[in-house]
Amino acid sequence: MSYLKTRSLIATVALTFTSPLIAGDDPLHERHELMEGVGDAAKPIGQMLKGEQDFDAAVVMTSLKTFDEAAAQFGELFPPGSETGEGTEAAPAIWEDRAGFDKALATWSDAVDAAIAANPQTVEETKTVAGPVFNACKGCHDDYRIEDE
Amino acid sequence: MLISRLLRVLAVLFAVIMVAAWWMTRPQTIAATDLPDHQPDPAGGERVFWAGGCASCHASPVNGKRAKGDDKLLLGGGLELDTPYGVFRVPNISPHVDDGIGGWTSVDFVNAMQRGVSPDGRHYYPSFPYTSYARMPVEDVMDLKAFLDTLPPVSGRIEAHSLGFPWSVRRGIGAWKRRYLVEEPMTFGVSPTLVERGRLLVEGAGHCGECHTPRDRFGGMLRERWLAGAPNPEGKGRVPNITPGGENISEWSAADIAYYLESGFTPEFDTVGGSMVAVQENMAKLSAEDRAAIAAYLRALPVLD
Repeated sequence: MSYLKTRSLIATVALTFTSPLIAGDDPLHERHELMEGVGDAAKPIGQMLKGEQDFDAAVVMTSLKTFDEAAAQFGELFPPGSETGEGTEAAPAIWEDRAGFDKALATWSDAVDAAIAANPQTVEETKTVAGPVFNACKGCHDDYRIEDE
Repeated sequence: MLISRLLRVLAVLFAVIMVAAWWMTRPQTIAATDLPDHQPDPAGGERVFWAGGCASCHASPVNGKRAKGDDKLLLGGGLELDTPYGVFRVPNISPHVDDGIGGWTSVDFVNAMQRGVSPDGRHYYPSFPYTSYARMPVEDVMDLKAFLDTLPPVSGRIEAHSLGFPWSVRRGIGAWKRRYLVEEPMTFGVSPTLVERGRLLVEGAGHCGECHTPRDRFGGMLRERWLAGAPNPEGKGRVPNITPGGENISEWSAADIAYYLESGFTPEFDTVGGSMVAVQENMAKLSAEDRAAIAAYLRALPVLD
């Protein structure tokens, strides 16, 4: 059995037992779609904070839940071998400094958990809890994403 | 006989040209007595510091990465700018008396910022964007010096630039300045107050045009292409067009621009990237009114494709 086959078998087995949500084998595509979904979910919150959209606590919660689901899956979508291809903006630093990347991801995940627990009901409350969530997006992009052309 | 006379005339002519060239390229400074009667205010200087993004170049890199947080206030220099003209090395501008600019007077600082001339009377290369700072109110420059003086001194001098010929001839910058060091506003004479406030920030301290405006082959800005986008001076890719005709920004409202500068998020909720990350973090430290003024100015620009 070739190395690649062995690895994908191990990965499949591991995924089957640890994370049934991500059964696919195209991590570059999956993580891209996941991040697009996060961006789409962030947009209504941002527009409410900017006053361009009426405040709706239920929409905020839906977006936060989207973040929560994405944060749970995201870290597993950067296996060795998925460094390049499909125009990925993933920076080499993800693999060179995996611990730092995991920490940045945890910062985001923790901020999302706190925001869900706070269950914001006003624009002001949303602003307070969304701040750390959005800063975590930015902080991780700053170190672990490269600029597209 | 005739030839030797001709040679003598030529020699005299050559000498006259050399003297004229020397005169034409001399560093031109302003005198201490020309400064306004202004009590420098460090708090006002801090606003200018963030608007200008001084730290983006002058803060010493930490482990090869750009400084973050309070490390942005340690202005020991050392960043290298690898450009088509050669390698520029960013100097120490901390208030260290020997290695930084701690020994400078107010007029020394104004001449550096607005005339591009060092205290010992030499031209600075325009990698230090004094062509933009020349449009700042001189009081703002004096305030900035007062703020810089409150920061921690950092020891260590930075090596000289390594440039290729003819750029290595520093005196030649005098000729360059005659053509490109222009204090007049880029686009507006008289403007509404908010736009004018934005103009001072964008054209002056913010020096946005240094990256967002294309240059001719001598490195001078193409005024008719003001803020219309340019090749990335640090290598691949392009710095975007930020006039209302810009591909990405044309759909943005003034509020979107101000929010982007405050939060780092685009209207599509992507985050700021590349060299603009450091700029946005500095802009986030300005007042909401200053960011609104920058946005108003950008929206008022001529639409360029």
